[in-house]
Amino acid sequence: MEKGASIVIADHPKIVCQKVSKVFTQRQGQVRIHVLEGIDLEVRRNEFLVIVGPGQCGKTTLLRIIAGLEKPTSGQVLLDGSEVTGPGPDRGLVFQKYMLFPWKTVQGNVELGLKVRGVPKRERRDIATHYIELVGLNGFEKAYPHQLSGGMKQRVGIARAYANNPEVLLLDEPFGQLDAQTRYLMEQEVARVWAAEKRSVIFVTNSIDEAVYLADRIVTLEGKLPGRMKSSYRVDLPRPREHTEKPFLELRHKITEETELLL
Amino acid sequence: MACLLRVVLLNRFFLYGISLTGFLFFWDWAAIHSSIAKFLPRPIEVYHQLIHMTGDTLAGKTLWGHLWASLRRVLIGFCIASAIGVPLGLFMALNRYVRSIVKPVFDIFKPMPPISWISLSILWFGIGEESKIFIITIGAFVPALINSFNGIRLLDPSLYDVVRMSGGNRRHEIFEVALPASFPAVFAGLQIALSNAWGCLLAGELVSARAGMGFLIILGMTVSKPAMIIGGMVVIALTAWLMTVVLSRVERIICPWKRELQL
Repeated sequence: MEKGASIVIADHPKIVCQKVSKVFTQRQGQVRIHVLEGIDLEVRRNEFLVIVGPGQCGKTTLLRIIAGLEKPTSGQVLLDGSEVTGPGPDRGLVFQKYMLFPWKTVQGNVELGLKVRGVPKRERRDIATHYIELVGLNGFEKAYPHQLSGGMKQRVGIARAYANNPEVLLLDEPFGQLDAQTRYLMEQEVARVWAAEKRSVIFVTNSIDEAVYLADRIVTLEGKLPGRMKSSYRVDLPRPREHTEKPFLELRHKITEETELLL
Repeated sequence: MACLLRVVLLNRFFLYGISLTGFLFFWDWAAIHSSIAKFLPRPIEVYHQLIHMTGDTLAGKTLWGHLWASLRRVLIGFCIASAIGVPLGLFMALNRYVRSIVKPVFDIFKPMPPISWISLSILWFGIGEESKIFIITIGAFVPALINSFNGIRLLDPSLYDVVRMSGGNRRHEIFEVALPASFPAVFAGLQIALSNAWGCLLAGELVSARAGMGFLIILGMTVSKPAMIIGGMVVIALTAWLMTVVLSRVERIICPWKRELQL
């Protein structure tokens, strides 16, 4: 009985997108841009889903719709079966351009969501300290964002998203601003942090290599507007993964061929 | 030897020294040999004139008395302008009704040079303190308002998304994001306001005054004492510079997170 119940919960999709479309209108409706068209998507509990697509294919818009920051023109997004109508702390968003508050220290930035939600100061500090340690930034609690490197800034961004204890983490090309070396390191860090504290993850990127390294499942979008789903791949490689193993390279090659994307 | 020369040349204070000494020597040479030498005192004469004025009274006041008369006008006008301009600019940025009501009127007055108000203000307030403070207030008001307004308007809207994702409301958007983010722009506006205030003060005092640094300068012209004019200019420059330094210090205390900008 107990076991059966837990299986039902595990099988229950965390996030469901049903025929999500988005049209932006400009100049009083004279210009209409179809950004997304009929997106159907499911993310299971604690699943790491990576959405891959080139620039300008609507993947950021899809993430913002799931975050509740944009409304879909048609279709809907369900979180645990109930419709998403706006942003909320049950989803944590990590931004491509970090979006740290320059006037707050690392500690202050990570505590921000807790402060907004009225969590008492002591508890706030303990939670923030925990996640600052989790992302490997202990010792930098009192530093200001401008004193940090790009990789460290994004570590703060990840800790800030985790601090609200969200059920779903949304990462919008989080390493797009980083150099290749740092990016490689941060992919390992995300895999490590996620293994330590599992959440349902939707990770948006334009790098197939990054997708194969991180994902349980990869969804590709078409390379032009409006963004449509193209293919879905299950990634069953054991973790931690190696970029140079044969199965890794084969899968990467396969997706690359089918996606007609440049790596 | 070449190495020693490099060390000396790379020392910024050495080059500052060369720059200033060179300027003083050129001035001194011009005061003796050039065609305007008759009305160009030597630097040492200006110095003696200043020392003389600190002890002797002119129109009932020593140099310090005149400086205080001017400083008082600047401070009162600057404070009135900041106390109205900064909050009004912030309100305009945060509330579209306030913006729609204030902006059209403000846009009419904005391009008018504040000095063009002098004649009117003398008709309205006479030649006493009020008319000068009025001009200074107008001159300082415009940059104080514009910069406070832009400080909030030019924010990256994604910073609000951070608060909204944590379940924050409009109040959090204002107090956690908009206001702290506007501080550097507000201070930049106050610096411009301060320098405008001195400009307007001088204009006001040159037209009509019985005390103040502008009065001293006009007196120097009337009695053909260029050392008095240049002495007055030097004292104004030093005082205005000191106030800028004080304002920068205050900013650094209030915004410790701001990277120092090199001029």
